[in-house]
Amino acid sequence: MPTAPIVTARFADYVQRDGLSHGIHLRWTFPPYPVGFVSRETLQGYIKGKDPISDAPLMEEIFLALTQPLTDAEKHPKAVQRPTWPRLLPADTEDNLHRLFLESGWTDGLPIVLPTEERVAEMLTGTDHKPDEYVGMMSVTTHEERLQYTVEKVATIAVMAGARPEHLPVILALGASGRPSMPSSTTSFASMMVVNGPIRDEIGMNYGLGALSPVNYANSVIGRAWTLMTINCGDVRPGATFTASTGTTINYNNMCFAENEANSPWEPFHVRKGYKASESTVSLFRGWNVLTMGLGPARRMLEVMKSIGGPFGGAFTFICDPLAAKGLKSEGWDDPNKLSEWLVNELNPRFKRPEMINFLVAGGEMNPMWVTTDFSHFQTVVIDPWIPKAGVKKDAKPLRMPESVACKDGSCGIVA
Amino acid sequence: MKKDSAKITVLDPRGQPTGIFGRRLDPDSMPWAIHDPVNQPRDTAEALRNMKMAPRLDKLEGKTVFLVNTGFAGAKEFMEELQEWFNKNHPEIKTELRHKKTSMFTDEPTLWAEIKENGDAAILGVGG
Repeated sequence: MPTAPIVTARFADYVQRDGLSHGIHLRWTFPPYPVGFVSRETLQGYIKGKDPISDAPLMEEIFLALTQPLTDAEKHPKAVQRPTWPRLLPADTEDNLHRLFLESGWTDGLPIVLPTEERVAEMLTGTDHKPDEYVGMMSVTTHEERLQYTVEKVATIAVMAGARPEHLPVILALGASGRPSMPSSTTSFASMMVVNGPIRDEIGMNYGLGALSPVNYANSVIGRAWTLMTINCGDVRPGATFTASTGTTINYNNMCFAENEANSPWEPFHVRKGYKASESTVSLFRGWNVLTMGLGPARRMLEVMKSIGGPFGGAFTFICDPLAAKGLKSEGWDDPNKLSEWLVNELNPRFKRPEMINFLVAGGEMNPMWVTTDFSHFQTVVIDPWIPKAGVKKDAKPLRMPESVACKDGSCGIVA
Repeated sequence: MKKDSAKITVLDPRGQPTGIFGRRLDPDSMPWAIHDPVNQPRDTAEALRNMKMAPRLDKLEGKTVFLVNTGFAGAKEFMEELQEWFNKNHPEIKTELRHKKTSMFTDEPTLWAEIKENGDAAILGVGG
């Protein structure tokens, strides 16, 4: 049936390019932007006016879209097939290669470690899986072509992020999720990732003081690797595939941290999702914002939630300092799932989805606070299949940033 | 500082094309499932290449055109104004306004079937 699709002019380039990659030719009509939240008079003006892309009268264009006979090109559309890339880039100097990576949009704008064959080979010692093994496919869009990646490709990304072989199993698990860290949306999505299980300590992740701050090597490079993977394997091209209007700085590191299982009064998050405590997992969350810092009992949480009213009917993930979690337990909330149920019922009885409200425990017990986010839990991936049989591959002297311990040796300079 | 002019070889970090594309969600999906890379329905390049534009009408006079509000912000109001424009300027063209019951990301076969059975053409919008 003849169809005339209408899309605002702001997305003209986007949908036309999209049509080329899909091999689908459509006769678009583009009214000015925006269409939402404008007056009826404005919309009437759009309809009586011109398509700003073609400069043709809008309604004339719609009529032609439905009545003008098809051209040969429309009868026999051709898809633009994307090329496959050689494994290696042409040899060049380090300076030129750094420039190439930056100017090609293959980085996050920060300096990277160049993925030489030697460095990638060393990174591959972080798993027993073969370099050419398929890991997954990804796209930041919901509709464009997915790009696939192998173990070697993920190792390449891990090198770029500044990671070591000990981090590779977590980064491979992120790849296996198939989930981009910064999916394309005009609303500017953010992601969060939380590691549970024994690997947290094996690779020195931070779940204590400053768990979400840039004070830990593993947290920093693993979180960064997810975004570098998304940029290169999820096909981020600003304006073409990536449409975040304001964007978000959360995309740099994806709030990468581990859960403070030892100091939490509750079962670890992954155990509550059905995994064994002895398993190592990475749980992935998606939302937009870190909303508030809160203090106080569960009823105060409810007040905050009511005052915010999150998208999609209210998704919230609370990151609780262990002191806050212990406080909630002392109120009688032995099981955070029960707390989720209570909050959902109090918040919106019509929208009973307790799984939309989650609790994570991290922090250094400096303040009984909880951080409210509008994140939803989407997926948990097991890391263990990516760990070598011989165990996590550590350097002889693993790189570790200073731990947040009280000064006992005078290194802080204030010990008498 | 002295520049190092030695050439080195590095790996290309980009993923490789698959010929697999995302597509609209099944009717019973929740809207946010569009961001689920595991369970989201997919199309292959081959299936997409089989989709071609339908032959056009010779005229719209006397025909029934369905106006479909796909659900983006402002689309409802735009389509209502579009229908009003047709009523004023081309009363010989019958228009039927429909609002997608599912989200903008979701397929709606019952609506498409109704349009195919009772309509001659369709105008869909407004995206973006």
